[in-house]
Amino acid sequence: MNGILKTVFSNLRYSLLAVGIFLFMLIGLLFLSEYIFITPFVTGHIPLGTELGFSLIVIISGLSALVLPMNIYRINILKNSKRKIGGGVLGSFIGAAAGACSCGPIGFAIISTFGSVGATSMTFLTNYEIPIRIAAIVLLAITYYTTVKSLRVECNLKPQ
Amino acid sequence: MKKKGIIVGIIVGIVVIGLIGSLSFSPSETVNLDMGRSHGDVSTVMGSPILGDPSAPITIVEFGDYQCHACYNWFHTHKPAIYENYIATGKANLVFVDLAFLGRDSPTAAQATYCAEDQGMYWEFHDLLYNSQESKIDNGWANSERLKAFAFSLGLDMTLFESCLDSDKYLKRVQYNVSEAKKHGAKATPTFIIVGPDNQQEQFQGGQPYGTFKKIMDSMI
Repeated sequence: MNGILKTVFSNLRYSLLAVGIFLFMLIGLLFLSEYIFITPFVTGHIPLGTELGFSLIVIISGLSALVLPMNIYRINILKNSKRKIGGGVLGSFIGAAAGACSCGPIGFAIISTFGSVGATSMTFLTNYEIPIRIAAIVLLAITYYTTVKSLRVECNLKPQ
Repeated sequence: MKKKGIIVGIIVGIVVIGLIGSLSFSPSETVNLDMGRSHGDVSTVMGSPILGDPSAPITIVEFGDYQCHACYNWFHTHKPAIYENYIATGKANLVFVDLAFLGRDSPTAAQATYCAEDQGMYWEFHDLLYNSQESKIDNGWANSERLKAFAFSLGLDMTLFESCLDSDKYLKRVQYNVSEAKKHGAKATPTFIIVGPDNQQEQFQGGQPYGTFKKIMDSMI
């Protein structure tokens, strides 16, 4: 497994891509879930009882930063099918959607635009925020496992 | 002559209906509103009673929803320090204006707080709602029956409270507050407008930490 990671991330482009995805996901999700604020001052907090939600955001961001560059590597270097990137993108998207708190501006815009249908979907995302994020983590973990497995076969690397 | 009689009859009828209406309207359900109340350019006339000293130099206007988790977090994590250091000391006061949009129980919960206000228990009911909020929106924790149970636990007159809630007495008041919030660009709950002594205003959204409020209010005093 370490050999696969070394192969992919020894390339500076993929390391930078991983850092970029991690920061983008982390800052975006923390902002959407109101852990960090930009106006009127840049500030942040972890309210009591929201520690689990915070940890799940960090895990989703980390897994997305691992899985997405590895799949892009597969597509670019090995000219392989684009099918396996789907799990990574879907996992990241699901994780991000769960973070769009219905109290926030995205929730407000969706409810204002789509009325009761929007309210129902936002209520679902808010009520099941933690299970949805856990599902996203499971999806990303499975994608990570299958990507490493297929890269090992395709690159013909021996496990260490 | 006949025409005159009809007109007089209509006028007398209107006066009699008006008299009956005013007599049947229970004095404990009257709303004592300061019709000109505003803070900065926000009309808070239909909002909550003022928490703290009405003559405090700073007013915090909070646009919130009783089913909003971020409002719950702010209420429990940061509001106590703001209350202790600014509201209890007379430096600031707070007005809550409903932006009840999250679910079908949100406007009902907001109306219930004004029914409690009729009996002088607005802030007790407000606090009880934020202490009783459950993690799921519209799961029944803020439905009509539960709101009545909350009122009962506060020792409110249940006949008055139930008639107030069941008749949607404060529906228009809540709707006015929601429209006032939207008018001021509130796009999330909670959204705050801090109004200073010279009517300078700082608006921001999110249940932000105590430090943000301290920085803004200290710069206004």
